[in-house]
Amino acid sequence: MRKLLAAIFAVLGMLSNAGVTATTPPNVLVVGQIAEPKSLDPHAVTALNDFRIIMNLYEGLVRYTPGTLEIEPLLAESWVISDDGLRYRFRLRPGVRFHDGTPFDAAAVKFNFQRMLEEAHPYHDTGPFPLAFFFSSIDRIDVVDSLTVEFVLTEPYAPFLSNLAYPTGLMVSPAAVKRYGKAFGRHPAGTGAFRFAEWQPNAKVVLVRNPDYRAEYRTDAAPLEAVIYRPIADANTRMAEMLSGGLDVMVEVPPDSLQRFRRDARFTVHEQAGPHLWFLILNTRQGPFADKRIRQAANYAVNKRALVENILQGSAEIAAGPVPPAFAWAYENSLVPYPYDPQKAQALLDEAGYQGQELTFYVTQGGSGMLDPVTMGTAIQADLRAVGMPVRIESYEWNSYLGRVNAGLEGKADLAEMAWMTNDPDTLPYLTLRGAAFPEQGGFNSGYYANPEVDRLLARARRSTDRAERARLYKQMQVIVQEDAPWLFVAHWKQNAVTSVRVKNFQLQPSFFLLLQRAAKP
Amino acid sequence: MPAYIAKRLLALIPVLFGLSVIVFLMMALIPGDPASAILGSYATPENVARLNRDLGLDRSLPEQYLIWLGNLFEGDLGRSYSLNRPVLDEVLERFSATLILAGSALLLCSLLGLLAGVVSAVRQYGWADKLITLLVLVGISTPSFWLGLLLILLFAVNSQWFPASGMYAIYGGGDLADLLHHLFLPMLTLSVVATGVIARLTRTAMLEVLRQDYIRTARAKGLSERRVIYHHAFRVALVSVIPVIGIQAGFVMGGAVYIETVFQWPGIGSMLVQAISSRDLLLVQGGVLLVTVAYVLINLLADLAQSLIDPRLRR
Amino acid sequence: MSRTATANGLAHGRPGLWRLLLNNRLATLGLVLLLLILLLALAAPGLPLADPDLTAPVDRLLPPLSPGHPLGTDALGRDLLARLVWGTRVSLAVGISATLIAALVGSLVGLVAGYAGGRVDMLLMRAIDTVMAFPYILLALVIVAVLGPGLLNALYAIAIVNIPFFARNIRGITLGLSRREFVDAARLSGQSGRQILFGEILPNVLPVIIITISTTVGWMILETAGLSFLGLGAQPPQADLGSMLGEGRKLLFTTPHVSIIPGVMIFVLVMSVNLLGDGVRDLLDPRLKSGALTRPVARTAITHQVPAVTASAAAPRLDVRGLKTEFHMGRQIHRAVGGVDLRLDEGECLGLVGESGSGKSVTALSIMGLVPTPPGRIVAGSARLQGEELFLASDARIRQLRGAAVSHVFQDPLATLHPLYRVGEQLVEAIRAHQPLSRRQAEERAERLLKQVRIANPRRRMHAFPHQLSGGMRQRICIAMALANEVKVMIADEPTTALDVTVQAQILALLRQLRQARDAAILFISHDFSVVSALCERVAVMYAGKIVESGRTDAILSAPAHPYSQLLLQCVPVLGDPGRRLAAIPGQPPRLHALPTGCAFAPRCPRAEADCRHLSIALRPLAGGRWVRCLHPLLEEHGSA
Repeated sequence: MRKLLAAIFAVLGMLSNAGVTATTPPNVLVVGQIAEPKSLDPHAVTALNDFRIIMNLYEGLVRYTPGTLEIEPLLAESWVISDDGLRYRFRLRPGVRFHDGTPFDAAAVKFNFQRMLEEAHPYHDTGPFPLAFFFSSIDRIDVVDSLTVEFVLTEPYAPFLSNLAYPTGLMVSPAAVKRYGKAFGRHPAGTGAFRFAEWQPNAKVVLVRNPDYRAEYRTDAAPLEAVIYRPIADANTRMAEMLSGGLDVMVEVPPDSLQRFRRDARFTVHEQAGPHLWFLILNTRQGPFADKRIRQAANYAVNKRALVENILQGSAEIAAGPVPPAFAWAYENSLVPYPYDPQKAQALLDEAGYQGQELTFYVTQGGSGMLDPVTMGTAIQADLRAVGMPVRIESYEWNSYLGRVNAGLEGKADLAEMAWMTNDPDTLPYLTLRGAAFPEQGGFNSGYYANPEVDRLLARARRSTDRAERARLYKQMQVIVQEDAPWLFVAHWKQNAVTSVRVKNFQLQPSFFLLLQRAAKP
Repeated sequence: MPAYIAKRLLALIPVLFGLSVIVFLMMALIPGDPASAILGSYATPENVARLNRDLGLDRSLPEQYLIWLGNLFEGDLGRSYSLNRPVLDEVLERFSATLILAGSALLLCSLLGLLAGVVSAVRQYGWADKLITLLVLVGISTPSFWLGLLLILLFAVNSQWFPASGMYAIYGGGDLADLLHHLFLPMLTLSVVATGVIARLTRTAMLEVLRQDYIRTARAKGLSERRVIYHHAFRVALVSVIPVIGIQAGFVMGGAVYIETVFQWPGIGSMLVQAISSRDLLLVQGGVLLVTVAYVLINLLADLAQSLIDPRLRR
Repeated sequence: MSRTATANGLAHGRPGLWRLLLNNRLATLGLVLLLLILLLALAAPGLPLADPDLTAPVDRLLPPLSPGHPLGTDALGRDLLARLVWGTRVSLAVGISATLIAALVGSLVGLVAGYAGGRVDMLLMRAIDTVMAFPYILLALVIVAVLGPGLLNALYAIAIVNIPFFARNIRGITLGLSRREFVDAARLSGQSGRQILFGEILPNVLPVIIITISTTVGWMILETAGLSFLGLGAQPPQADLGSMLGEGRKLLFTTPHVSIIPGVMIFVLVMSVNLLGDGVRDLLDPRLKSGALTRPVARTAITHQVPAVTASAAAPRLDVRGLKTEFHMGRQIHRAVGGVDLRLDEGECLGLVGESGSGKSVTALSIMGLVPTPPGRIVAGSARLQGEELFLASDARIRQLRGAAVSHVFQDPLATLHPLYRVGEQLVEAIRAHQPLSRRQAEERAERLLKQVRIANPRRRMHAFPHQLSGGMRQRICIAMALANEVKVMIADEPTTALDVTVQAQILALLRQLRQARDAAILFISHDFSVVSALCERVAVMYAGKIVESGRTDAILSAPAHPYSQLLLQCVPVLGDPGRRLAAIPGQPPRLHALPTGCAFAPRCPRAEADCRHLSIALRPLAGGRWVRCLHPLLEEHGSA
């Protein structure tokens, strides 16, 4: 037995010496992802997690200028929009090739959109393409010549360009799609600064530098030789890996952990506000929140400063209305958030004759952009209780949660947490605040808010091609919605990332995309 | 014996059939559907309906089940919509990772448990027994998910002796030493409870056996104490511990769900959790079937091992 | 019959369950801890604690020992101490209720399946198999996903997941019980299935259910915590220990106390439950009740100063003097052997006769130190083998003598042969333990031995396992094993009792023959005068640990001197059912831990007089080399008036 013990200790010794966690090699960036990617086909995915890889593999006709949400040319050199807002003609950049060597041209653009939109297309079955409706306003696509392509829309649609900059608008290699069919998502080919090298399921996705990548608008070949994405679903484990040197970049760091990285000289913390809104949907159809005064009272009752500064540790800003300030051109700067004023809330409740009916509050346990939903929900519950509104929390795992909330709150709940990250000021209010967007009509207006004036403003803004006019309309809308308080406006998230100090030229984008073309790690 | 094995394997078929029906029904009962899971915030009824049609989920449940069953006979477990790859590939890959983790944990806990149990019984009421009894109690009273976190904190973050997660080093590595290095912490965490259970039962079994008349006979024959304990007593104790090890296999595989999540081990437990939450019916189905087959096989193996040792159990 | 002796002794003097539980120091610790925790949890509403749900974001994540927050605060600034107490309350309630539900449903399923048998059993067990094969935590996940989150649903999930555990345990026991006589009797008396199940079987299964519950509660609390940890249990703001751990887990690397405190609490709670559960199991488990789970060491403890041997020329084969062997059970001392003298000469056969529990087996086992210690110990006397003091011999020397110079044949050959080894192997092992033979040679010798004990076809029999042989065949093997080496004294402890009458006669005949051929002395122990008379020249009668009469067999048979011997003899009218004979002596043997002063047989003795009850009585000689320990013997004493 003594021999056995000795053997055990010998093995233990061997194990712990087997390789003291090596730091990652130079010019290779290891990124901690929150999940295994679903697919690397940009048209088939919806998750930010997948976008973080895809945005480095592919390019679209246009992109957001780094550091902003402004549109600038990328694969298209220039474009012309007809006065009626129905025709978009793009001039493509010459000499661009996909990673598989096939040329990028007008036919390729047409193939990309047809694959997504036309059920009769021979490669439509390589989908499904859940976000294809971003381009549902496209009537047809004309190949004018090999480097000119024209989109004809069924109706004017202002967010069109912005949607082209979204991952759903990225260009994939038609040859690769034809070659791999359904498996294209695991054999991606685009035109980006990195090309796909390897996908070891549940371990890593490896991208390597695309040596052919060069053009005036596009940067030179990337400084990094390779990027390795590691899926680590558990936030704690991700943090442990970061702390123990197994990662160079970690995204979506919990706010409390951020403090720890800030204090540690081995790491750099990055933050960037973006078009994100965290709010509570209030059920305006039935129950106490059918009364505007009670909705306003709830807005007064919640201490948003405490939420943002204490619970979220400054990783978010207080929200005033339905449009995030990241859409600078469309944001109404004069809008002041509902202050924390329990007395005022009390007075409004009394005025409305609120009797202390118990409220049901849907809380999710996680989910894209939901920050720390259970803790925040619990804090809000306590604030509402403090002004005499008893709240009962029901918490659900994200997919069940969406199933319940998207179907509408009627008969189930009075409040529900929600968060959106969007690429255009149109998206969120259009899908969630219009009278014609009730769940029964296929929209996301789960709280049944309806104001004809808001509907009118949104419809006009959507059809207008004049950005100044759109801005004016959105600003009017914000004032009305804030007053009507169909939601409890809470916070705009500042996304964050932690990098090791070895990583240079790393910058987060307001679009929430992770762009690594310029990042370096000597 | 072969007839017996065949009989046991045949008995597996109704269990698998029943399970597959149950899984189908359960997945149908869970609120939320794969389309909403994929579409996230964009899951309008219209989009959901379209996506469901694309995924073939607009068919009735019995119809879906029959299609699945038909494909099964051709060795096709379908295609996972949340992972966009054949279920069989994913499930086999994940399962082999779990096999390594759960298998080594089971091996470790069997060895340690038996050893501790025997030592504890032989040194009954001595300091070794007291120490082992205490450790066993601590082991079976510790929440394993919490223990895993603490181990990561201590040995991966603070001292960096072991990697915090994964199965192989992300850069370089890939050999056996690398695997063992990654395996150590999760294996240890996973085996703690089972080691305790096995040690306890071994101790009880040994004590019971040591009181038996045939042990007195062995002593009356003038055999050495070592031979009495390890040759005569241990063998009988093993007969009653083996089925317990078989049952522990189930618990170890269940516990792997937590441990795989905590240590980011690419196994089938964490896959099933993800598959359930993304409503990936076919993936759940495939995973559950494989796990069940493994569980039944392990228990069959335990039965066989038991009857190999104990001639009275031979059929 | 040492096992019966110890079991009887214990059964008589068992102190109350509570006292026994409290005797177990660890169980007491568990009980005290658990009571403290329960008290704390129950008293939570009355304790001067902060509101567990009161948030104060500014005071979040205060370290322990902060003013006003002895354990600090969590991510919302809530008081951790208050949440811990309230959370414990919830966890306990859920863990216990889930266990009770699982126990109720699972036991019911097990009872019905085990009792009904046949198709019902198969169907139920298939269903249980199916549930068991599904990884339990996934099953719980799916159940919660279907039912929706919430403590109550988590409770159901945990309960459902654990039903198979109970069902399987209870079914096994029910199956065993439903074939027992008392169930048949109830069935014959016309009771309905339900009456039998709940009236007859359930009371017998109940201890097992309680054991299973007590060993499961801790595990259930852990599992509930696991589900809550995954966010599927308690809904905010309510805390249970698992959800506290789950919430705190995110902060493990920054503010570890938030998760370590509930983690430690879970640990302490589960630990206390397990400690207590072990204690309860130790109390209720029938195997543990009989003290069967203390491990006997290789040789009986000898606690007295053994007198050194004075060399004597003509030492008898075996000479036992003043042997006293005791069993120490807790604070009680059972005096199983109270001063026995035995003498065995070359080629002689001495019979030792007495009722169960009279100490004859313990006497025999004491010689080679085979009385289990604990609880047994030899406290006085000496035992000499051809002049060599056995009580002074080293362990190694004793091992040398055991199975060689002194060999044993025990009562039940099925229990005394190792069930997992072929009889040939066991025989070979016995030979090679004392003779430097190769395996091959040993096998040949084994074969010859089997021939000597009249086993036909010995080569084939060597490959058999004990359970494949008949009782008589097995006992022949045991005898062969006892003869394997150069035996000088064979101790045969009721070697024929477990056999039926014809086989008994064969074995006795065999022993008689062997004795003549081998010149071995035999100490033959039996409760049956008729058996002893067939083999032994001399006989000693034992009662309550003492020899009450000894002398030539034929003399005692024809005219017993001690009333006990007489009664014992009257029990042997003809060869008949061996189990019933002793029932004829009225009364019970005395309790060995509370022997009366005076004659131990006095309470049952028809001739007892007042002086019998307080005088200590010595063994006195009678005519014809006979001895008796009686004040009023049936025969006149030698030399007295």
